[in-house]
Amino acid sequence: MDNSVPIFDFAAIWTSRTLLLEGFGIAMFCATAAIILAMIIGLLIALMRLSNSRFLRGFAFVYTQLFRGVPLYVLVIWVYFGLAIVANINLPKIPAGIITLALLNSGYLSETFRSGILAVNIGQSEAAAAIGLTKRQIKRYIVLPQAFRIVLAPSGNQFVDAIKDTAILSIIGVPELMRMAQQQADLFYRPFEFYTTAGILYFIAVMGVTKLFSFIEKKMNRIGFTNGSQKLANVGEYI
Amino acid sequence: MGKYDFSWRIIQEHLPDLIKGLIITLQISVAGMAFALLFGLFFAVLRFSQYRILNIISNAIVQVGRSLPLFVLLFWIYYGLSLKFKINFSDFQAGAIALGITGGAYMAEVFRGGIKAIDQGQSDAAFAIGLNRMQTSRLIVLPQAIRIILPQTVNIYVGLLKGATIVSVIGVSDMIYVAQYVSLETFRPFELYSFAGVVFIALTLSVASFAWLLERQLSGKSRRG
Repeated sequence: MDNSVPIFDFAAIWTSRTLLLEGFGIAMFCATAAIILAMIIGLLIALMRLSNSRFLRGFAFVYTQLFRGVPLYVLVIWVYFGLAIVANINLPKIPAGIITLALLNSGYLSETFRSGILAVNIGQSEAAAAIGLTKRQIKRYIVLPQAFRIVLAPSGNQFVDAIKDTAILSIIGVPELMRMAQQQADLFYRPFEFYTTAGILYFIAVMGVTKLFSFIEKKMNRIGFTNGSQKLANVGEYI
Repeated sequence: MGKYDFSWRIIQEHLPDLIKGLIITLQISVAGMAFALLFGLFFAVLRFSQYRILNIISNAIVQVGRSLPLFVLLFWIYYGLSLKFKINFSDFQAGAIALGITGGAYMAEVFRGGIKAIDQGQSDAAFAIGLNRMQTSRLIVLPQAIRIILPQTVNIYVGLLKGATIVSVIGVSDMIYVAQYVSLETFRPFELYSFAGVVFIALTLSVASFAWLLERQLSGKSRRG
């Protein structure tokens, strides 16, 4: 009976194209919302880790270690089922997925942001302090804009990871791409075609984001944002 | 429904099963890492080959491997391949291969980065004092590259360890799988998944701090030497 079936039959894909694209859209939406949230939380946590308060530093440290150590599978079940059981918080599926991804990625991003802030030359803040800027102004106008450039590429990588991780949200029933592919694969009994298509869509998304971030990076370099090592190289040329 | 009363005794009662699951998790992550090292080394070597076509192919494969979610790879290998081409992997084999492909794509970059990071002057100097290509690689470049590669390799293993938690979706009876079926029997998902979560946090943190120690140790040596 298997021989009567053509080897590759992508017709079924075309039939359920709207469902797959809808899932793709939801996956991208979850990843984007999560990464924006994660950047906000991550920056706060990074600033906490660099603060003078011992308590804030300790809290931020534990936060980072916790969310960098926990597997996404466990975290998503905690957020979706655990909160409902323990605290009676019944989150809808998509928000639960977004919160989970945001928590996980904020742990990684806070470490990225911290090292980005630390990578800004200390002379910059000293010079800013010398011309009379307050601590707050130094952070806001001198350190963070420069740190932003340094963390751009690693943040892009984190975004890519978030896109890939949306696939795991299917276990709590978020109707994203993988969930749709699974359903349709079972329906048409064509797992190979559907998972291949899902793979291709993820690949396109990841490539798109990678290209986008390297484009932004190039653009920033062109408008005078050179990074530290490039500056050093230029100085070397003149000596 | 009021307050939820915790029953951590469930963990104690099912501890032997959970530990059995943990051992399978460790086994599959190690098997995956072994594949990852092989794949990674193979594709890194291709990237350095003199033939442009090999560079392009290996680059493309590494890109694809890094772009596919592990979840998709698992389903693709276990359900897709087996049904289409009658290649029947066991759930454990499929899991190890999927972990190996994902990890291998990252390892290829680690190997490449480690080897590229060694200053060209090192090999030039080695050639100048009469070492051949093989000797230069073995005695000059690799020992230095390993310092860069080793800590990153351990970090990739941490990633695979966390990735290994999702192999239960194709039926590998790892710790998450055990937590799942015990919670179906006992209606205690929160306790069981929390336990699994804590075990994983402890595991990944200890391996990650090992990587950190390794990095410090190795960079310390290079400063002295």
